[in-house]
Amino acid sequence: MTSLPLADLLGLSAALLGIGLFGILTRRNFILLLIAVEISMNAAILNFVIFSAFLSGDAGVNGQAAAVVLVGLAATEVAVGLAIVLALNRQRGSINVAEASSLKL
Amino acid sequence: MSPEDLAFFGLAGVAVVTALLALLVRELVHTILWVSVFFVALAGLYFLLAAPFLGVLQLGVYAGAVTILLLFGVMVTRKRIFSREAATGIGPAPLGLALLTIVLLATGAATASTADRPLAMHPVVALANTLFGIDGGWLLLLGLTMLGALAGAIYLVREGRE
Amino acid sequence: MVSLVGIAPWSPEIVLVAAALLVFLLDTVGVKRSELFAGLASGAAALALLFVVADAGFAPFALVRTVDPSAVDAAPAGGLYAFSSLGLLFQAIFLLTAFFVALASASRPSDEKGSAIFHGLLLIATTGMLFVAVAADLVFLVLAIEVTSIATYLMVGYTRRDPRSLEAAMKFYIIGALSTALSFFGVSLLYGAFHSTSLVALSGALGGTTQPTLALLGFGFLLVGLGFKVTAVPFHAWAVDVYDGAPTDVSAFLAGGSKKIGVFAFFLVFIGPIAFFDARGAHCLTACGSVYNFHPTLAVSLGVLAILTMTIGNLLALMQRSMKRMLAYSSISQAGYMLIGIAVGTAPALAGATLQVFAHVFMKAGAFLLVAGFATIGIGPLIDDYRGLGARRPKASVAFALMLLSLAGIPLTVGFVSKFILFSAAVQAQGFFLVLAIAGLLNSAVSVFYYARVLKVMFMDRAEPVPAPLPGPPVAGGSEPAVLAAGGFGYGRATAIALATIAIVVFGIYPQPLIAAFQSAAEHFVLTGA
Repeated sequence: MTSLPLADLLGLSAALLGIGLFGILTRRNFILLLIAVEISMNAAILNFVIFSAFLSGDAGVNGQAAAVVLVGLAATEVAVGLAIVLALNRQRGSINVAEASSLKL
Repeated sequence: MSPEDLAFFGLAGVAVVTALLALLVRELVHTILWVSVFFVALAGLYFLLAAPFLGVLQLGVYAGAVTILLLFGVMVTRKRIFSREAATGIGPAPLGLALLTIVLLATGAATASTADRPLAMHPVVALANTLFGIDGGWLLLLGLTMLGALAGAIYLVREGRE
Repeated sequence: MVSLVGIAPWSPEIVLVAAALLVFLLDTVGVKRSELFAGLASGAAALALLFVVADAGFAPFALVRTVDPSAVDAAPAGGLYAFSSLGLLFQAIFLLTAFFVALASASRPSDEKGSAIFHGLLLIATTGMLFVAVAADLVFLVLAIEVTSIATYLMVGYTRRDPRSLEAAMKFYIIGALSTALSFFGVSLLYGAFHSTSLVALSGALGGTTQPTLALLGFGFLLVGLGFKVTAVPFHAWAVDVYDGAPTDVSAFLAGGSKKIGVFAFFLVFIGPIAFFDARGAHCLTACGSVYNFHPTLAVSLGVLAILTMTIGNLLALMQRSMKRMLAYSSISQAGYMLIGIAVGTAPALAGATLQVFAHVFMKAGAFLLVAGFATIGIGPLIDDYRGLGARRPKASVAFALMLLSLAGIPLTVGFVSKFILFSAAVQAQGFFLVLAIAGLLNSAVSVFYYARVLKVMFMDRAEPVPAPLPGPPVAGGSEPAVLAAGGFGYGRATAIALATIAIVVFGIYPQPLIAAFQSAAEHFVLTGA
C-alpha cells in the first residue's frame, strides 16, 4: 500500500480548478469553454477520490461513489453542450461567444 | 523519494501542463489532443490513489467518449478542421482571480492533516452496494438528468422539416 | 425491498416523470398537439400539488396524504432525503409555478414546434426541484439542482430557430456548468472536512471538524456556486441576458420557479445544519440575534451579498428600456430580499423569505406570462411600447399593474406581506441586521420608481396613433397567431393570469393563515435543521 501527502494532492486539485477558472474567464470559443468547465469538474472529482482514499469504510466508499456519479454527470453535460453548439452552428456558422452579438456578455 | 511519489509528481505535472496547453494552444484539434492526455493522466492518478474502478471509468468515459464527442464537435462546427480560437488578450483580472483561487485552496491544503497512513482500497462490491443499494438516490437523479438531456439534445440537433 | 408503501411518498415525483414520459411518447408516435401537452403537464402538476399540499398537513386533503406524518419534521437521521414542512411548502410553490406556466402555454399555437420538448422538460425540471426540497445530503442536493439546470438549459433553447434563444441557452449553459463545478468542488471539500456528505454530518458546522479551514473553503465555494443559481450579485450578469433571450414563458419559469431552488439550497446548507447544531434553537425562534452568532463571518458575508444584490439589481433596473430586461433586473433585486432572510437566519426571517418566494410565483412569473401574452397581441418589447395600453386592454393592464405594485411591496398585495414579515424579522434580530432592514426599505423605495414608470406609461400616456397589431412578435420568437380567444391571450393564459392576480389580492388582504403556516414550518426547520 502506498501513502501520499494529502496536502500535495489537494494542491494539484487546486491548481486544476484554477486553470479551469482561468479558461472560463479568458476563452471565447464555446468548445474551449466546455473544456475549461470539464477541467474544473475533474478537479472536483479528483478531490472526491483523494479524500475517499484517506478514509476507510463506508465514509470512504461514499466519496468514490460520488466520483462515479460525477463522471456520468460531466459526460451528460458535455453532450448537452455539444447539442447547443451544433444547433447554433447550423444557424449561424460560428460558435464564438463574443460573436453572439445580440446579447451582451 | 519513493516510486509512488515519483509517479504522483510525474502525473501531476503532466496533468497541469496538459490542462494549460489545452486552453492555450491556437488549434482546436490540438486542444482536444492535449485534453485527452490530461484525462489519461488523471486516470493514472486514480490508479495511484487506490481507485482502479474509477481509473477505468475515467479512461472509458473521459479519455474515450468525451474526447470523441469534443473532436466530433470541432469537426462538425468548422469547415476547416484546423480552426483557431479568436485571439483575445488575457487581462490581469482573470489571471489574478485564478491565482487567488489556487493560493486560497493551497493554504487550505497546507492545513489539512497529513497523517501518514496507507491509502484505503475500497472493494468494488462496497462501491456497488453504495451506488445501487436501497438509497440509490444519486444514480436515480443522474438518470433523471440524462432523461432530460437526451430528450432535449436530440430535439436540438434533429433536422426538422420546417 | 421496494414496496408500494415505500414509494408512496414519492407520488408527486412519479406523477411528474410519468407525465413527462407520456408527453415524449405521444410526440414520438405523431400526436403533436400543444394544448394536449399543456393539459397533461398542468394536470400532472395539479395532481402532484394535491399530494404535496395534503402532505404539508392541509386537513381537507388528508385522504391523499402519502408521507407518513411522523416522518415530516423528524430529527434528521442521515439518509439522502428528509421531509420537512418547509420543504413541502417549497414543493408546493414549485408545483404552482409549473402549473401556471403549463396552463399559460396552452395558449400557444397548437402546431408549435418543440411543444412536447418544452412541456416534457418543464415536468423533469420540476421533478428536480421537488427533489431539492427533500434533500438531506449534499451530493443529492447538487445533483437534484443539476436535474433542473440541464432541463432548463434546453428549455431556454427550445425555439431552436430563434438565434437569441439559442445564444441565451449557450450562456446559461456555461454559467450553469461552472456553478455546478464550483458547487461540487465545495461539496468535495466539505466531504474531506466532515468525512460525509450528509447534512447531518455538517451539523457541527465549523466546530464539528478537525479541519475548519477546509470546511470554511468548502462553504465558500458552495456559496459561490449557489450564488450563481440565485443570481446574487456579483454572480448575476448571466440572468438578464438569459431571461431576456429565452422564450418569455421559459423566463417566467426560470424567474418564478427554478431560481428559487437556490434559495432552499441556501436554507439547507447555511441554516439547517447550523441551526441543528445550535441547541439554543428554541429561544432563537424569535430573537437572539441570529443562529450564526458563533460564526459571524457567514452572516456578514451573506448580508453584504444581500445588500449588493438588492442595490445593484434595483439601480440597473432603473435604466432599462426593455420590459423583459427590467423584470430580469427586478428579479435580481428580489433575490437580494430573500438573501436578507438567509443572512438573518431566524425562524421569522426564514418565513419571510419563503413568503417572498411564494409571492414571486404570482407576481414575477405572472408578470412574465403577461408580457408573453402582450407579445402575442403585437405589443413590442420596450417599455415605451406599452404606451396607452391601459385604455386598450384595461383588464390585462390592471392585472399587470397589480403584479408590479406587489413587486414594489405596496400594501394590500402579497408582496407587501412578505416584505413586512422579512424586514420586521431583520429588525427583531438587531445589530448588523438592522442595517439589512434599512437597506431593504431604501431599496423598496427606489424600486417604486421603475414600477411606477411602467404604470405611468400604461395609464397616463396617450397611445401612439397606429396601434396596428404586428404579427410575429420579436420577443417571444416562434409564430404566434395575431388573434386568439379571450382578449387575444387564449383561455389558458388568461386563466393563469387571472388566478395569479386573484391570489395577489386575496393573500394580500387576508394573509393570516398563510403567515401562520409559513411561520410554523420555519420554526420546525430551525429546530430540527431539516
